[in-house]
Amino acid sequence: MAEVDPHALSEEDFHAEVHSFQFWLEAVEGYLGGTDFGFDPNLTDEEFSESELNYLVTTLCNYCVAEQAALQASSGMISFAPAPDAAIFLSTQVVDEGRHLEVFVHRLKMLGIEDPWQEITARSNQSLLKFKDRLLEFVDQRDWEAAIFVQNVILEAMEFTVFQAHAATADPITSGILTGVAKDERRHMGFGENDLGRKLKQAPHTRTRLNRITAELNPLVLSTFSEIAEELKIDTEDLGISSNYLATIERLGFST
Amino acid sequence: MADFLSGYSIQSWLESCPQGYLEDTDYGHGAGEKEPEEMLGNDTFREDAIRTTVQLVVGERAALAASSGLVNAAPDDSSKMFLATQTLDEARHVEIFTQRLLDLGVRKDDLDSTISRYANPNLVKFAEVLLEKVDKKDFIAGVVGQNIVLEGMAFSVFEMMHATNDGTNPKFAHTLSGTIADERRHVGFGENRIGSLIKEHPEKKAEIQKMQQDMTYHMLATFADSFKANSDVVEEAHSQSSPDAKAAVYHGVDLNKADASEMEAVLSDTVLGEFKTRLGRIGLEYLSPAA
Repeated sequence: MAEVDPHALSEEDFHAEVHSFQFWLEAVEGYLGGTDFGFDPNLTDEEFSESELNYLVTTLCNYCVAEQAALQASSGMISFAPAPDAAIFLSTQVVDEGRHLEVFVHRLKMLGIEDPWQEITARSNQSLLKFKDRLLEFVDQRDWEAAIFVQNVILEAMEFTVFQAHAATADPITSGILTGVAKDERRHMGFGENDLGRKLKQAPHTRTRLNRITAELNPLVLSTFSEIAEELKIDTEDLGISSNYLATIERLGFST
Repeated sequence: MADFLSGYSIQSWLESCPQGYLEDTDYGHGAGEKEPEEMLGNDTFREDAIRTTVQLVVGERAALAASSGLVNAAPDDSSKMFLATQTLDEARHVEIFTQRLLDLGVRKDDLDSTISRYANPNLVKFAEVLLEKVDKKDFIAGVVGQNIVLEGMAFSVFEMMHATNDGTNPKFAHTLSGTIADERRHVGFGENRIGSLIKEHPEKKAEIQKMQQDMTYHMLATFADSFKANSDVVEEAHSQSSPDAKAAVYHGVDLNKADASEMEAVLSDTVLGEFKTRLGRIGLEYLSPAA
């Protein structure tokens, strides 16, 4: 594809460019080339203690719950996307979310889980399930503003924060998978911020509504972090996950 | 089921599609390839290309709405993941055919009005029959409508267009090659996944066959309208083509010599033949719109 300087494009052309399949193709070619289910196939697994394995399996199962929510939400939103380029971007996000689910399920199988889908159901965090239900309610109501906010800002910020923190301490295979997934999440957050940013300029009262949604959902996000932490005897404060998530949401201009 | 679905994983899709036949392409064709000057400089040919491409955009928009809608209707996560790849394939098709409209000289501001002006009403109804099933989250009917009927039609139409353009318009022929490879994968999933579900739900057969019958009616009406509309263009193209031009053979018919009614006949016969074979494989009977 011909080299394009994004800064030389009009706003309309810029959006068409960055929301295109071509743009996605070139972005993922960079970091997925040579990987197999999201990691370098030359890597071999290390030995895990029983508790480490339990921690990792529970964590991966809950990543799968979040990715199932994201897959269902992003595919459901295509039918009411406000513009063709938004529908194309969401289609790239659908395949990203499907890929994330697939690589986490594959990792569970590598760790000896024979039926990952059953394990995901058994280990699902209740607050995360409530969050998923609320997101899918917005999608079913075809409420673009709320759905894009909850999906591409809150959920993606939650995932991005957790995946980044986990990648820093995880075994090399899990770390490689999480690093690639986090790069996708950053792209998804960018789309959400951009779409809402334009909307907020045109209709500032939207911010009040979105802040109300943030206030409703933040407790579910934070209790997801703390429930997992309690079960697994880890301290989210030490990892800075909750504070990083809240800082991300605030940086995007929403009150916490 | 799990074993066959592993062949439709996102990893397999990444290796065969973005990292396979789409690598180093630009909107599905080779970088630098352009529409032929003879076509761009002839208003009749250019308008015909725009009209044809609009039908492709309309069909692919329906396929995008259907495949994304079916993700949430799928009864298992592996099917959801395959449909995720299909959603992106269909979005890519919308994008590359929309780009072709721009390459043919349609201005960005005129895209929506151009699509509205040239969209065949029968093709729009064909899509509506399918999307009604998708809206009801009817997975079995939706996949038959989408991956057997719509994709089966698209596959044959693209193959015919590829035969026509192979010698005269390499850019469009290359664009079509990638979409044909995608459609083949989609049809394969439909046949493999739905056969077992039809066996589990024989009570759905009558309703699904009725949907196929309605979709087939609108498809044949679309073909009739389209070939009638471009019969003069076909004649003009034949009169301008070199007598030494290589034959463009599609199912035994040289498209460089056939008139519009012969083209319509060979396309309709091919698509209906494919429908009968594929529906038979999944335990459904083909119903003729005339029945």
